[in-house]
Amino acid sequence: MVSSERYLEPELETIAPADLREHQEKRVVELVGYAYERSAFYRELWDAHGVHPRDIRSLEDFQERIPFMDKAMVRDYRARNRDPYGGMLCVAPEQVTSVSSTSGTTGDPEFFAEIWQDAPPLITAQLRDLWEVGLRPGDRVISPPGTFRNLMDYGYQALGAVVVAVDTWLGNMEEVVEAARKYRPAYLQLAYPLVTELVHLSATHDLREAFSSLKGVSFAGQPLSRRMRQIMQEDWGVEVFEYTSAADTGTAWECREHDGFHLWEDTVFAECVDTESLGPAAAGQTGELVATDLDNLAAPLIRYRSSDLVRLSRDRCGCGRTHGRMWLAGRRGDETIVRGRPVTLRDIEQAVEAQPETLGGVFQVVRTQREVDALHVRVGYDPAVTDDLGALDERLRKAVHGATGVEPVLELRTEEDLMKTVRSVAKFARVVSS
Amino acid sequence: MTRVDSLARARSLDRPDTAYVVRFAGRDGAVDIEQTWAELARDTAWTAARLRELGLAQGHRALLNGSGFEGPWLRPLMDALRELGVTYGIAEAMGWDANRTMVFARELDLHAVIGLPKPVLERLGDDEALRALLGVTPVVLARPDAAALLRLAGIPAGVISFLGPTLAIECRQKHGAHVNAAEWSVGELDGAITIVPTVGSGRCAQLGETVLTVRGSVDGDPCPCGSADPRVTFDVDQ
Repeated sequence: MVSSERYLEPELETIAPADLREHQEKRVVELVGYAYERSAFYRELWDAHGVHPRDIRSLEDFQERIPFMDKAMVRDYRARNRDPYGGMLCVAPEQVTSVSSTSGTTGDPEFFAEIWQDAPPLITAQLRDLWEVGLRPGDRVISPPGTFRNLMDYGYQALGAVVVAVDTWLGNMEEVVEAARKYRPAYLQLAYPLVTELVHLSATHDLREAFSSLKGVSFAGQPLSRRMRQIMQEDWGVEVFEYTSAADTGTAWECREHDGFHLWEDTVFAECVDTESLGPAAAGQTGELVATDLDNLAAPLIRYRSSDLVRLSRDRCGCGRTHGRMWLAGRRGDETIVRGRPVTLRDIEQAVEAQPETLGGVFQVVRTQREVDALHVRVGYDPAVTDDLGALDERLRKAVHGATGVEPVLELRTEEDLMKTVRSVAKFARVVSS
Repeated sequence: MTRVDSLARARSLDRPDTAYVVRFAGRDGAVDIEQTWAELARDTAWTAARLRELGLAQGHRALLNGSGFEGPWLRPLMDALRELGVTYGIAEAMGWDANRTMVFARELDLHAVIGLPKPVLERLGDDEALRALLGVTPVVLARPDAAALLRLAGIPAGVISFLGPTLAIECRQKHGAHVNAAEWSVGELDGAITIVPTVGSGRCAQLGETVLTVRGSVDGDPCPCGSADPRVTFDVDQ
């Protein structure tokens, strides 16, 4: 029996699946009419597909009749109509509280129109997750570095936490460690570039002691490798809660069971779609996450193809929650096809992390197109532990070949040199064109 | 079953009086103070009054440049903009994120850009590009070194500074950035700016006069704008 103290909203988090589906159906039917009336983008798209809200009376109707949309379609509308919101906005512009944006690592950032009172939507959707991590009133939180999805402090403070505002961007992890010693925070958010710096700092600082007050550390922006998780959990002694995007409708977090990412399905209607047939993926099979915002009156995403490849399950989690969980398998288009052979980032990552000089897992696939004749991998090494670059090159080459079946073209750079190319508070670009 | 319900549940929780532990750079090292909810509310009210005087009003759009760890300074700005009915967008204060600032400025018909830092400015292009991007924006409040560069480029930018634990904001007169005298007293020591809570403000009693790493001068005479708040003029390297 799981204690209700574990949940911020016990009734909602453990809602009966039939009740959840009833809620989703009601919201979806309302949403379709709402969006058709107010959004020029959806009206144009649905008219072109011969769909009208009066046709949508159930979730089945919705899945059968409403067409998918994706970022390229919004970008196209934005360019054709010189509308910054891509025709998605369902309210008068002056009703928008704030505008946040996508990370912008692969092009111009795209806008998210937000309407809110106490806290912005993204962080509000994380309150249940932060509660699960263990955040409670009076706890301290160290501020995260980024703002591109708005100031996260509003959410921490909504839960009664005190935000310790210290510089948490690259190059300042020593200060963060000192602040952790001084203020004994309960929660800290990390991203890949910061973890890489902490890995180096761990040679001279006792991170296990410094981070001993943390109830949890979250990690987001890109998948956390098994090796990194092991270092954080076993060497630093912190419990890591990875989270990912719920197809831009919110986020999906691991709970303390660490068995998949929890969606909050009262705020999102999630579908797992077979990428070939575009019908529902078979149970337990990997497909593309398609999401519909159920709690966004500003600019809802409706049947949005996220490009995230996931496996989805609605089995009750060990934590007692009934909302769906997903497991990430990658991103559509991230695979590199080398002379017909598919190579995944995960394969390369494991080979890179297995070498002590490249333990940080800092690497990039350099390609101008998905199908290539040679696998060009740029890898960052730690000069402090690299005696013989030639030997590293040979070992890495063998390891990457062993993991992928492809002989790579390796380019070795110092880790510091590669980290200077970071263009996001959350992400280190894994696939680059030059 | 919405985010509103989650927030309603959160509102039922106990909340400490402290909102932030604020870290700022003092000449003798980092200084940490606590900021209460009451102080944050007063900071917001003062900030809203400054922004209103600059002409920001319901229906306008503004862009804020800031980092996630600048909450004690950003939150009063955000809350003030919300109070005024101004929609705000947000971009990082880091140079590599300059494209986000450019996209917001290009797409959203901004009435104000607030908090623009030099590393972002330097990546927005040459003087001509800056004039094309920001020349018609009615209110540009940049951090001191960026404001100086913008003025050289012919853009009449005002100054906003995250000055120690507080905000300093220039009015339309652009003769120094005002500091809320009801909360903070500023002075000079050997060319550096000093700050101490104003007697009677009830603010962080443990904080004595602190010399900041910021160099500049203080003018305590009333401003032509009508404000009695002292003004800080910053020394900047260009």
